[in-house]
Amino acid sequence: MSDRTLVGDVPPHGEDDAFLGNDDAQALVGGTDPTRGTRQPGSRSMSVAVKARRYLGFPAVLALVCVAVGTYVARADLDDVERRLLTFDRIIDATLVHLQLVGISTLAVIVLAVPLGILVTRPAATRLTPVVVALGNVGQTIPSLGVIVLFAILFAPGFKGAVFALVVYAFLPILRNTIVGLQQIDPFLIESARGMGMSNGTVLRSIELPLAVPVILAGVRTAAVINVGTATIGAFTNAGGLGGIIFGGIVQSRTPVIVVGSILTAVLALLLDHVLGVVEEVLRPRGL
Amino acid sequence: MTDMIALEQLTKNYPGQARPAVDKLDLTIPEGEIVILVGPSGCGKTTTLKMINRIIEPSSGIIRLQGEDVTRADPDELRRRIGYVIQQVGLFPHQTIGRNIAAVPRLLGWSRQRIADRLDELLHLVGMDPATYLGRYPKELSGGQRQRIGVARALAADPPVMLMDEPFGALDPISRERLQNEFLRLQGQIGKTIVFVTHDIDEAIKMGDRIAILREGSTVAQYDTPETVLAAPADDFVKEFIGSGASLKGLGLARVREVSLADWPTSQISAGREAARRALDSSDHGWVLLLDEQRRPVRWVEARALQGEGSLDRVGLEVRAIVEPTATLVGALESMLGSRVGVVVVVDGSGAFLGTIDMRVIMSAVEVMRAAAHKRVLDDRRRVHAGQEPPANAIAAQ
Repeated sequence: MSDRTLVGDVPPHGEDDAFLGNDDAQALVGGTDPTRGTRQPGSRSMSVAVKARRYLGFPAVLALVCVAVGTYVARADLDDVERRLLTFDRIIDATLVHLQLVGISTLAVIVLAVPLGILVTRPAATRLTPVVVALGNVGQTIPSLGVIVLFAILFAPGFKGAVFALVVYAFLPILRNTIVGLQQIDPFLIESARGMGMSNGTVLRSIELPLAVPVILAGVRTAAVINVGTATIGAFTNAGGLGGIIFGGIVQSRTPVIVVGSILTAVLALLLDHVLGVVEEVLRPRGL
Repeated sequence: MTDMIALEQLTKNYPGQARPAVDKLDLTIPEGEIVILVGPSGCGKTTTLKMINRIIEPSSGIIRLQGEDVTRADPDELRRRIGYVIQQVGLFPHQTIGRNIAAVPRLLGWSRQRIADRLDELLHLVGMDPATYLGRYPKELSGGQRQRIGVARALAADPPVMLMDEPFGALDPISRERLQNEFLRLQGQIGKTIVFVTHDIDEAIKMGDRIAILREGSTVAQYDTPETVLAAPADDFVKEFIGSGASLKGLGLARVREVSLADWPTSQISAGREAARRALDSSDHGWVLLLDEQRRPVRWVEARALQGEGSLDRVGLEVRAIVEPTATLVGALESMLGSRVGVVVVVDGSGAFLGTIDMRVIMSAVEVMRAAAHKRVLDDRRRVHAGQEPPANAIAAQ
């Protein structure tokens, strides 16, 4: 994203100082800047250094963890079975497949659940809301293993079936947050928008959705993070992903393999959580 | 005077409710006036208001705007011709003040330049600095400032009609009074037709050119000027609703210049004690008012203090209770109660003595107001009985 206040705000050694300085204090100063109302839109009145640290600090820590895992895999005294299970090719391949499982399923849920959430919150369809939420609940109440196995039986075992299962499993958080995000909007805002002659469509587009964005995105974040964990179970139905490494370790009773697979899954979940947190912050409408 | 809005047999039934919320209401709103809908809660005043811009669709009846039947017109088009202000203001929190105000002009497809010019104009109109506030967000404003912006937003596309639903109801008393005064001043410049809902009879009396007092089912109990409603309530319901302080409220509307002042013995300080004694002796009052060279009141003096000789500069009491002709009678009464003599001195703009107001003046002013209001009602009734076209306030006589 572009930032027009930029360097002007940062003293010559601003970046170094910021890295040494107190995180929260810096963020706080930026956040309560009384002049922010007159700043350029898009700038959240944080200096680049503060932003960089907030957005990149945590991923840097995760990267260090990955380097440590990689070093371990390369250097540690592993037996043949472990060597076979923990090649760099296998790890990278499993991570990519895992990301695809999570990415495709989460995107599919966004495409399906957000419009459904919008639909059931329209005044004409409010009676549908409990029914739809109940259906979404079913997906989440069935144990994740059950959902995945069920869909492997219904469709084909493997990648496709796992994606379907993850869609069902992640449906509720996004649906529910879309509904809540739209319902929590002050009804007087909608009344005043309608009262000045905005059509229902305009009210939805320019008032309701922007105001619901933070809540919807929180649902997306929850769903995506849940999916990272649930996707490991996809290994049961031969869907691949990091679950494959973990289960390989379990089947062969090789603890180092299980630990490496688990750490990488955790890193992936934390990274995704962080990235979506940043997205939430960036897309959050100003003035809220 | 033409009618800007006419409601004919307007009715709203809610499913599951035995009685209609609004029951066959007939009401005309004259152009350029502030008409207040006032009544106890649940009387249907807000429902009535919201049917005018069809936020609530009427069950039956006709709404006319500038003579045109808009009951079945496109509601979005209709609403762009009607400003709408609600108690909760309803500013969009994710949009700047500028964008909030520009909402209707943007819907109407105004050019960027025209919108920018209008924004400046409107912010000046509501007494806020455009450079400071246009880029701010609603949460950065105080409650009073938000409602000012709410009014500016409703005025943005210069609609002929404004609907206001308890617009100042959520403000603290001081901000409310300030905004009421500002709004009356603003209305003096813009002359909109305004329908204003409140449950506060004092606000109704203050803000309204006309007041429609509604009872259950939005039935009109009385529709008249505030003066007439106060002086001649149509029935017990109205009497009870306006409360026992009606005469006092009426005094808050009347100005000192509208009553005939009482005379009082006066004497110039420079004329000396003898002149002052003569002035006092020739009247039946116990005090004489001493004036300076410019006929400005200086001191109250009793007969006792006038005995002996010497200058009159220091004798008697200082004159404290002084009002100008623009003061309200309530103001005058208040000063009177604080005065030792029990009399208020009225002076002109340069401070020169015009006359006095005492209790008798106030009493007769109340009587005159009552009589005038009664006469208006009676005249209206006579016209109705003679079969002539009744004026809008004739409803009070029915």
